[in-house]
Amino acid sequence: MPILIDIKYALRLLFKAPKFTAMILLVLLGGLSISLFTFSFLYSVMYKPLPIPEGETALSVRVNFNGDFNLISSYEYLNVKDNLTSFAEFGVYSQKDSRFSIGESGKSIPSSFVDEGFFKFSRTNALLGRTIQPQDLIKGASPVAVISYDTWQNELSGNESVLNMTMRLNDVITDVVGVMPQGYHFPVRTKIWLPNLSIELENNAKYPEFYYGYARLKENASLTKAEAELGNAINQIYQESVQLFDKTKGIKTANLLSFPMAQMGGQGTIIFTFLNVISWIILILACINVGNLLLARAIERQKETAIRAALGASTKRLVSQLMWEGIIITVFGGILSVLLVGAALDYTNIAVDSWLVNGKPFWWRWGMDVETITIAVLFTLVTIFLSSFLPAWRAARQDINNTLRDGTRGAQSKKAGRISRFLVTTQVFLVAILMLIGSMTGYMTHNFINIDLGDDYTNVMRAFVELPEDKYVDPQQHISFFKSLTEQINSHPQVEDVYSLNWIGESKLTLENMDYASENDHPMVDTMSVIGNTSTVGVNLLAGRQFTDQDKIGHGKKTIISQSMANRYWPGESPLDKRFQLEVNGKNEQLTVVGVVTNKMNPKSLFNKLDSADEIYLSGFQFITPYQRIYYKLRNIRNAEEIFYQALFAVDRSIELDYSVEAAEKDRDMMRGSMQLVSNITFGTGFFALMLALVGIYGLTANSIAQRTHEIGIRRAVGATDRNIVNIFIKQGARQLTVGLGLALIIFALLSYVFDKFSEGMFPSYLYFMLAFGVVIGLSSTVMFAIFAPTRKAVKMEPGSALRYE
Amino acid sequence: MTTVITLENISKIFLTQEIETRALNEISLVIKKGEYISLSGQSGCGKSTLLSILGLLDSPSSGSYDLHGENVSLLTRDQRAKIRSEQIGIVFQSFNLISDLNVFENVMLPLTYQSGLSKKMIENKVNEVLKKVDMSHRKNHYPAQLSGGQQQRVAVARALVNDPAIILADEPTGNLDSKNAEIVLQLFDQLHQDGATICMVTHDPASAKRASRCLELFDGQLVKDHENKPAKSISPGSYSTQSTAS
Repeated sequence: MPILIDIKYALRLLFKAPKFTAMILLVLLGGLSISLFTFSFLYSVMYKPLPIPEGETALSVRVNFNGDFNLISSYEYLNVKDNLTSFAEFGVYSQKDSRFSIGESGKSIPSSFVDEGFFKFSRTNALLGRTIQPQDLIKGASPVAVISYDTWQNELSGNESVLNMTMRLNDVITDVVGVMPQGYHFPVRTKIWLPNLSIELENNAKYPEFYYGYARLKENASLTKAEAELGNAINQIYQESVQLFDKTKGIKTANLLSFPMAQMGGQGTIIFTFLNVISWIILILACINVGNLLLARAIERQKETAIRAALGASTKRLVSQLMWEGIIITVFGGILSVLLVGAALDYTNIAVDSWLVNGKPFWWRWGMDVETITIAVLFTLVTIFLSSFLPAWRAARQDINNTLRDGTRGAQSKKAGRISRFLVTTQVFLVAILMLIGSMTGYMTHNFINIDLGDDYTNVMRAFVELPEDKYVDPQQHISFFKSLTEQINSHPQVEDVYSLNWIGESKLTLENMDYASENDHPMVDTMSVIGNTSTVGVNLLAGRQFTDQDKIGHGKKTIISQSMANRYWPGESPLDKRFQLEVNGKNEQLTVVGVVTNKMNPKSLFNKLDSADEIYLSGFQFITPYQRIYYKLRNIRNAEEIFYQALFAVDRSIELDYSVEAAEKDRDMMRGSMQLVSNITFGTGFFALMLALVGIYGLTANSIAQRTHEIGIRRAVGATDRNIVNIFIKQGARQLTVGLGLALIIFALLSYVFDKFSEGMFPSYLYFMLAFGVVIGLSSTVMFAIFAPTRKAVKMEPGSALRYE
Repeated sequence: MTTVITLENISKIFLTQEIETRALNEISLVIKKGEYISLSGQSGCGKSTLLSILGLLDSPSSGSYDLHGENVSLLTRDQRAKIRSEQIGIVFQSFNLISDLNVFENVMLPLTYQSGLSKKMIENKVNEVLKKVDMSHRKNHYPAQLSGGQQQRVAVARALVNDPAIILADEPTGNLDSKNAEIVLQLFDQLHQDGATICMVTHDPASAKRASRCLELFDGQLVKDHENKPAKSISPGSYSTQSTAS
C-alpha cells in the first residue's frame, strides 16, 4: 500500500512538470538507445552463434603464415586431415563467384565449392532435393549445383520444377539438385554450392589449391591444444615443401575462431569493446544528467523529506519514496528505447541489404532478441541505480534539524555544490574526449572520401585473373594468354580500351652516374607491369609513347615513368631515353625511359597516407606474372560484366575467377561509403554528446542557481550588480571547464602521440593542435552558454523576491 | 537636519493569479539624517514591503522615491545595486549570511561590489566594524559555527561596513532570545548615538520605544508618525561583555 501511494505521488510530480519530465525522458531515451543499439548491432555481427543447428560449436580454421592471414593448401589439408586427434569434423571449401549466364547477359553469384561433409557440418538438410553427395565429387560426374532459397526465388522465379532445371554456371550447363532453406547461406553469403572436384586431384605439393577450413572439436577437446595440433601438423607439411620446392621460408600456425570472428579478421573483440565503451560513455553522461536533475528535485523537496523523517520514516522508506520518480521515468525510457532500437534494427536490415547487393554474412540478422532484451534490462537497472538510487540515497541522508530550521539552503548547499561542480567537470571531460576522438576520426574520413588519387575509373570495369600455375607454366604462356584476353575484350564494340596491370611492389632504383654510400641509400619506387594503354584508368601520356607488343622478351627493356619521378630525377630536361637500373625479382634490370605519364598516388596505409607519386611502369610483355588485374573502359555499361566473361570463356573456359567482375570504382565507393557512415556515426555521437552536455550543464547550473537563489538575493541586497552575479557562475564554470578540458587534453595528447607513431606521422603536428583548439572553442562556447543562459534568467529576479525564495 | 529620504505617494501592488493585493497605499514620508525610526504595525500591514522599497530591493508600483535628492525610482537595476553597495546597509530578521563564506568574507561583501578600494582599505574597514560589534575574534568562523546573536552582530557589521547613509533593519531581533535581542538593540542605540540614520521594522512595542521617531502602518497606510523621547543613553561597548558570552 505505501508503495502504491509513493507511485501515485511520483506520477503526480511527473505530470506536474511536463517539460522537466520530457527533458529527462529525451536524455534517457538517447543514452539508452545509443548504448543498446551499439551492443545489439555489434553482438549480432560478432558474437551471436551461427543461426544453424549447433552453430555455437562451428569453427572457422584460420591459417597464418608468419602471423599474416593465409589459407590452407590442398596438399597440407590432404596430409593432415586423417591424423588429427582433437577434431570431430574437419573440411575445406573455397569461395568464388560463379557466372550465371542468361543469353547475352548474366550475373555473378557468390558460390562455394564444397565437399560432401560440408552440409553435414552445418547440420542442415536441403529444403528441396538433396545436398552435395560423394558421387558429385568424382571426376567426370555430371555438373550439379545446390542453390539458396533466394536464388531459386529471384533467378529461377521460384519455379516449382526447379529440380528439373539447369543453370549455365561459368559457361557450364549445371543441374540444380537441391534448394537450401530460406536464410541459409553458410559459410558466409553463399548462394550457390558446387562440388569441389579438384580436392582429391590436387594432392600437388608444388602447385596446390588454397582453401578455407571448417572444423568442430571432439567433446572435451581443448581449443588451445587443437590449435597447436593443427598448426604443428600444417607447419610440418609446409616445411617439407620448403625443402622440396624452394618455397618461401616461414612458420605456419593455426587459429580456430567462430565464423563471425573470423570474418572480422580476428579483431572483433577490440572493435566491440571500443565502440561499446564509447556508447557507455554516452549512457553515463545521460545518467549523470538525469541523476543530477532528479537530485535537484529531491533537494527541492528536502524540507518535505525532513518532515517525513521527523514523523518517523526510515532512511530505506525515504529512499524508496524518492526513487519512484526516477524508476518510473527510467523504466518508461527503457521500454521506449527497446521499441526505438527494435525499429532501428529492422531498418538496419533493410539498409544493409540494399547496400550490400551481393548479400551480407548470413548471421547478420538484426532485431530484438533475448540478448538485447537482457542488456536493455541491465542498462535500465544500472541507469536506475546511477540516476535514481544514488540521488535518492544522498537526498535522504540529511540533517533533519538543519533542514527543518533553515529549509533547503542549510547544510546541504555546500555538499550539493561540490557534487554539482564535480558532475560538470566530469561531463566536460567525457564530452571533450568524445569530441576530440570524433573530430580526429571525422578528419580522417573526410580526407579519405575526398582524396584525388590521380586516376579516373569512369565506366571502367575490373577483373582479377590468376592463371593456374600447373597449366600455365612459363612466362610466354602467360603473355600469350593475357594478350589474347585483352585483344578479345578490346574486340567488343562497346569497349574503348583495355589495360592489364600487375603490382610488383617497391623496387630498388639505381641511377646512372650516381654514387650510393650504402644499399639503403637507393630510392625505393612503386613498380608495376602493364599491358595496354594506361589512359584506360586516367593515367595519361604526357611525353613519349605507351608500350607496344614490340616491347617484348628479347628486346631492350623499356619503362614509362610518372611525371613526379621525371621531375625528381631529371628536373628541367626530358627524361626520354634516360637509363637506370631497377632491381626486379632480385635481378638488376637496365631500363630505358620511353614515356612519361601523369601521377597516380596510392594510399600507403590504412590511414590514408599517400606515397610520393613516383611510379615506374614496366612492359607486361617483358615482366609478366600469372596474376593480373584487367581494366576495360566501356562506352556504355550495358552488359558490362558479360563482355569480360564472354572473352574469358573464349580464351580459356577452365579459368575460374576468385572475385566478381565489378566496376573498378566499386571497392573505393564501398570504402568511401563505409567511411562516410563511420564519419556520420561519429559526428552524430559527438553531436548528441554535446547536446547532452548542453542540456546537462544547463540543468546543473540552473539547479545550482536555484539552490543559491537566496544567496543571490543577499548579494544583490548588499549591492551586487547583474554582472557581478553572472561573473560568479561564469568563473565557477570556467574553473570546471579548465579542469575537465585540461584532463581531456592531456589524454588527447597521449593518444595523439601514440596514434602519430602508429600512423607513421600521417597528420602534421599542427593539425592535432588545431583539432584540440577547435574542440576547446566549441565546447567552451557551449558550456559558457549553458551557464550564462540560466544565470542571466536568474538575475532578473528582484532581490526582494530572491530573499524570500525557499 | 539634512533630508536623506523622501517618499511621495508610494504604492505597491502585488498581482498574484489575477488577485490584486495593495501592500502599500500612497505613503509619503521624509527621513532626516540621524533619525532612528521604528516602523511597526500588524502582520501583513506592509512594513517589510516598505523597508524593501526603502532598501531598493523592490520597486514601488507608483510614487516617487528620492534618496539624497535623487529620484531612485527611475534608476536602472545596476544603478540601484550601486546605491545599495555604497549608501544602504540592511539587517535582516534571519541574518542572511552566506553559509559558504566566513565572518570576514561576509562582512567584506558590500565592499567587493564597490570599485576603487584597495585590499588594505577593505581589510581595515572590515576589521574596524568587526571590532565595533565585538566579533573580531570570530572573523574566521563560518555562520554555522556562530550563535544567533553573533550571526546578527555580523549582519550588523556587514550593514555598517560601507558607511551607509541609512541602515534598514527588518525585525532584527525577531529570531533572537531576549538576551541577544537586547545586545543587538543596544548596538543600534550606540549607532544612533554615533549619528547613524536607522529605520527598523519591529512588532515589539518596547523595541519601538527605543527609536526617536515611531511610524505605524495599518493596511498599507501610514497611520501614526510621532516623535519619541530620546533613546536611552548607553555607554559605548556596554553590550560587548554580554555578547561574548552568548
